[in-house]
Amino acid sequence: MAAETPALRLTTGARDSLLRQCWRGRMGYLMLVPTLVMLAVFMYYPAGLGLYRSLFDWAPGLDAEWVGLGNFVKLFTKDRVFQQSLGNMLQLSLWYVLSTVFVSLFVAILLHRMIHQRLKYLFRFLTILPVIIPGIVLLMLWKFIYDATVGPLNMGLIAVGLEGWTRAWLADPKTALYAVMLRNFPWMDGVAILILLAGLQVIPSEIIESARIDGATNWRILWAVEFPLITGQVKLLTVLTIMWGVQEFTAVFAMTQGGPINKTMVPGMWMFWNAFSINKMGYASAIGVVLFLLTFVLTLINMKYISTQEY
Amino acid sequence: MASPSAAPTRFPWRDAVRVLALTFMCGLSLLPLVMAFFISFKTIPQFARVPFLPTLPLHWRNYLSAWEIVRLFLFNSVFTSGLTVIGVLALGSLAAYSFAVLRYPGREFFFYLVLALMMIPSTLTLIPSFVLVKDLSLLNTRWALILPWVASGQVFAIFILRTYLQGLPRELFDAARIDGASEWQGYYKIALPMSKSMLGVTAILNILGTWNNLIWPALTISRLERQTLTPGLWSYQAENFTRYGFLMAGLLIGAIPLVILFFFTSRWFVEGLTSGAIKV
Repeated sequence: MAAETPALRLTTGARDSLLRQCWRGRMGYLMLVPTLVMLAVFMYYPAGLGLYRSLFDWAPGLDAEWVGLGNFVKLFTKDRVFQQSLGNMLQLSLWYVLSTVFVSLFVAILLHRMIHQRLKYLFRFLTILPVIIPGIVLLMLWKFIYDATVGPLNMGLIAVGLEGWTRAWLADPKTALYAVMLRNFPWMDGVAILILLAGLQVIPSEIIESARIDGATNWRILWAVEFPLITGQVKLLTVLTIMWGVQEFTAVFAMTQGGPINKTMVPGMWMFWNAFSINKMGYASAIGVVLFLLTFVLTLINMKYISTQEY
Repeated sequence: MASPSAAPTRFPWRDAVRVLALTFMCGLSLLPLVMAFFISFKTIPQFARVPFLPTLPLHWRNYLSAWEIVRLFLFNSVFTSGLTVIGVLALGSLAAYSFAVLRYPGREFFFYLVLALMMIPSTLTLIPSFVLVKDLSLLNTRWALILPWVASGQVFAIFILRTYLQGLPRELFDAARIDGASEWQGYYKIALPMSKSMLGVTAILNILGTWNNLIWPALTISRLERQTLTPGLWSYQAENFTRYGFLMAGLLIGAIPLVILFFFTSRWFVEGLTSGAIKV
């Protein structure tokens, strides 16, 4: 809330007519024009079209045929691959959330507790450093690590005498999903770590001091003071990771394309395949709408139950 | 910062476990890269003999021949990601300033119109966007990448920058108005210089996003000479699957521009992220 200067009315007062207020604020509207035009053309129009086209049987260049909710019915009753992909997505998302939250919390706390400031800076830098490795490079490196004949994983297993365990990790239906899931070991996420670290750092030092004076140990402070005060950041990361996990299919696209025998299929990949390999664009749009609804529900849950902790 | 002002001169032994654990985690994260670095200097027979440890002589030729292929992708990525980030910052900061500082009827409505897009996943718009870009005959041009990326990138930018500008003291802008500054001057003389670090964070996050985008360029750009780095490296891997040294050299070259970017900006990127301005 800004204090209004009575002498100079800088902001529009209630006494002005609406039209006058609009005219006064014309610069405000003008500054929004480029943004709104871009959003209308490249976001709202495609989003609307996606919702609309999901009700059609439609391929480019052909007449669209109205099927109502037919695509959705088919997805949930007949399409085994889609149902399997939902299960895979669930497992992947759960894993992404768990690994992001726990590993990042662990590293953030280690960084926060570091006494030596120079080393703290150094490790903070090393933590964020992997961000600059292009995602595709990591995916390709991990594809190589999982390689059946020359991959370091199998080589390592042979070296320690576990030849029986070797396999083509990404091509074996039993292991493919887990190989995709467990890539990027040890699952450090620099941005997540910094967000959590920021949360830890803004806790007023008086709170920590008074806990210490009351005789609380480091563990107790962590458990009873710091964790409750960074739930905002943890929830933010959780929600962002789930939403990302629902839509993400870059890793699957680059590593397995959904195979072997759809063991790593996720909804995004299945949508892509339907749309661009067999031209079932209406059907694929319906998958997009299902993903949208999932995200939408998650956001609503997020807005209803999640608020930042104040102190 | 809740840190003691006097930095200890000697190594505090209570840190020992922390240092060990962090070294372990950071080391493992970077291990694949180290491995790629070693392999990138090997000929095929060298790799067959000693796959993962360094071998002599170093085979620099891998880098030269990989560069011949990857440099085109690199240039395309620098160009498209660069233009995109300029567009995102220009449009995003203007709109964020309008939302955070100016007052006019309907401001909240327009803001929610932008905010609502955070809920729309890229999967919903993927197919129709492709059809749209095709209908505009933009396929195989850089605009097929830049225009949709500017549109989608600015949503997040507006969100971050608006929050930041709202956190600035309002008197700053009011005082400028009293002195006769226009709304426009308030934008480029006050808001822009004041939010430099946040603009930097937004820029880097945006560049990382477009740089790492595989699906959209793979879909809209089929001519290899227009392709960006991420899909470029992906097809490069598929073609050179067994020429490991050559392959790794190409992947590492692909990482260089971000290394350079990070080298110059890491300090305020880290500061900006840890300032606590990014929250729910």
